[in-house]
Amino acid sequence: MDKIERLINLTAVLLDKQSPLTFDDLKSTVYRDETGGAVALKKMFERDKEELRDMGIEVRTVPLSDDRTGYTIEGDAYYLPHLELEPSEKLALAMVSRLFLGSGTPFAGPAQAALCKIAFDEGDQGDGLAEIHWVSPPREREALAAIMEGLAKRKFITFSYRALDRSEPSEREVEPYGLFSKNGYWYLVGQCHLRGELRCFKLDRIVSDVKVSRTSPRSPDFEVPEDFEIESSASWEWPPPKDLEDVEARVVFAPRLAFAFSSGRSKVVSSKRHKDGSLEATYEVADPEQFVDWVLEFGPDARVVSPPELTGMVAERLQGALARAEAGK
Amino acid sequence: MTTQTRRLQRMLLMVPFMTGEDGASIPELCRRFGVSKDELMADLNVLWMCGLPDYTPGRLIDFRVEGDRVFVSMADYFARPFRLTREEALTIFVAGRALITAGAFPRKGPLSTALEKVAGALSEGEVESASAIASRIDVEMESYSSKWRTIIEKGLKEKRALLIEYYSYSRDEVSEREVDPYTLLWSHGHWYLLAYCHDAKDDRLFRLDRIKSVELGAARVEGDREEFRVPALVGEYRPGRKAHQVRLRFAGVEGRRLAEKWPAAKVTEHDDGSITVELRTRNLSWLSNYLLRFGDRVKIESPKELRRLVSGKASEMLEMYS
Repeated sequence: MDKIERLINLTAVLLDKQSPLTFDDLKSTVYRDETGGAVALKKMFERDKEELRDMGIEVRTVPLSDDRTGYTIEGDAYYLPHLELEPSEKLALAMVSRLFLGSGTPFAGPAQAALCKIAFDEGDQGDGLAEIHWVSPPREREALAAIMEGLAKRKFITFSYRALDRSEPSEREVEPYGLFSKNGYWYLVGQCHLRGELRCFKLDRIVSDVKVSRTSPRSPDFEVPEDFEIESSASWEWPPPKDLEDVEARVVFAPRLAFAFSSGRSKVVSSKRHKDGSLEATYEVADPEQFVDWVLEFGPDARVVSPPELTGMVAERLQGALARAEAGK
Repeated sequence: MTTQTRRLQRMLLMVPFMTGEDGASIPELCRRFGVSKDELMADLNVLWMCGLPDYTPGRLIDFRVEGDRVFVSMADYFARPFRLTREEALTIFVAGRALITAGAFPRKGPLSTALEKVAGALSEGEVESASAIASRIDVEMESYSSKWRTIIEKGLKEKRALLIEYYSYSRDEVSEREVDPYTLLWSHGHWYLLAYCHDAKDDRLFRLDRIKSVELGAARVEGDREEFRVPALVGEYRPGRKAHQVRLRFAGVEGRRLAEKWPAAKVTEHDDGSITVELRTRNLSWLSNYLLRFGDRVKIESPKELRRLVSGKASEMLEMYS
């Protein structure tokens, strides 16, 4: 018999029967067409139970009066309870379950299943809902799935990693503590056995498959330290902000691109529109390098007016770029 | 998880939808579970072999197809779906947290009470482990405070076309377009509007912070889009034959960082630590602006046109600063 049929039959009979069944009961029913002795069949049954457990279906073991062992799947543990959601909660939950649909993350599959389950009682919640989706770059999909597995099961993961400042990759074994995305990139945070400390790994610098440790799959390989917080790892910045006080910078934008004055990462303190359509904005700048990079992207459509440190930085870059381009002619 | 487990999971989830008196619509099942009609029929043919002991015809799961509806009987024990798994709850918790951070929902409100009800539907051990894992995953999503948010959301909800003025970064020009909005996307650290562009006659992504203005159009957006193909974002962009071949040489690691932004770029490392990055692009304008930040740390080896653009822009801008 096909394994999938056998697993459906096993689930069906354990769910349907009010009282626990013994292995002998199962041998003469679900396993009756399987070849092999009692020991082989028992092993097959154990593997089947494991497989169901992997899916979240718990086959419970019940001691019976005459020293025999009974097996059952309890309805309360199996069936989806009624969530009894208010209309606004239904909408919220539908929007949440849709966020990762087609996202290219390991969340996509579970998101779809969750959406189906919620729709079973609550109906489809489509209308009057602005859809929002979260999309990940496709190249990170497989690494993400493996890291998620290691993270959820607390298993060591191994991969080959090339740090930005190294030309050769090195093999890493890591205890995956957390995962975050920042500026469109995924990062893994974990205890690195090679370096012996907490490290942050950018996923697109992983140059091999990520392997999850398969030794004793049911027991975790490590504990996550109690004081571990993903937020503090994720608030790490590159490049590290300089030891400067925040500077206030003024920038004038040409009318054409004035609308985009607030698209950067620096906080806008104030802005005013000039008669000619240009716009002058004041920013609180924590990271001058990054701020100058951003202003330069506007090309001639943005000009830093003050402070002199920043205009100096801009002019220096421009002179460098000009000299380099002229030299190449 | 193996393909077979995934299929089993799908089948167990599908059966409850078909056991009701009215059965289920086949096209709707296919859409909901992301399968073709053939795959659905194959699943039904497996189910048809399953049931309860003694596995005589009267004890096996049965199905019949009438028109485009399918009816499953003799499967009362599968009349309700399996409860939410830990992975599903985890996904909902992570997504919920991201949407609250993004400001799509208030911290205290329908979403937080709904999440509590989801947690209530899990066993104690699972709530604990799902929320513990969720707390170690931080999915970045900025709040989309674009001043056009209300009007874009109105277009999405009411399925109305939008008239937008959009700044194309690569072409360095602002143009007006009529678009049919489908959804908002967060990707690569930015918010995008995914819409069908009537001018390009194709799906396009519009970065919210490059939208200069939006007006609600009169036209209704036709049809429901259940599936959409996310057009190539920056980085997955595959330029055509007309693209310029660009070769840049960087003194140090910044070249590799740049190449990470464009995975299609080819990187060659030299013994002196310098790095050559080769990439293709249809428009040089954006790249000339982008390269200004590197000052003298990049050498433009080709094309000449890019070198001319950079030197032109740099000298024009230096005059502004003198």
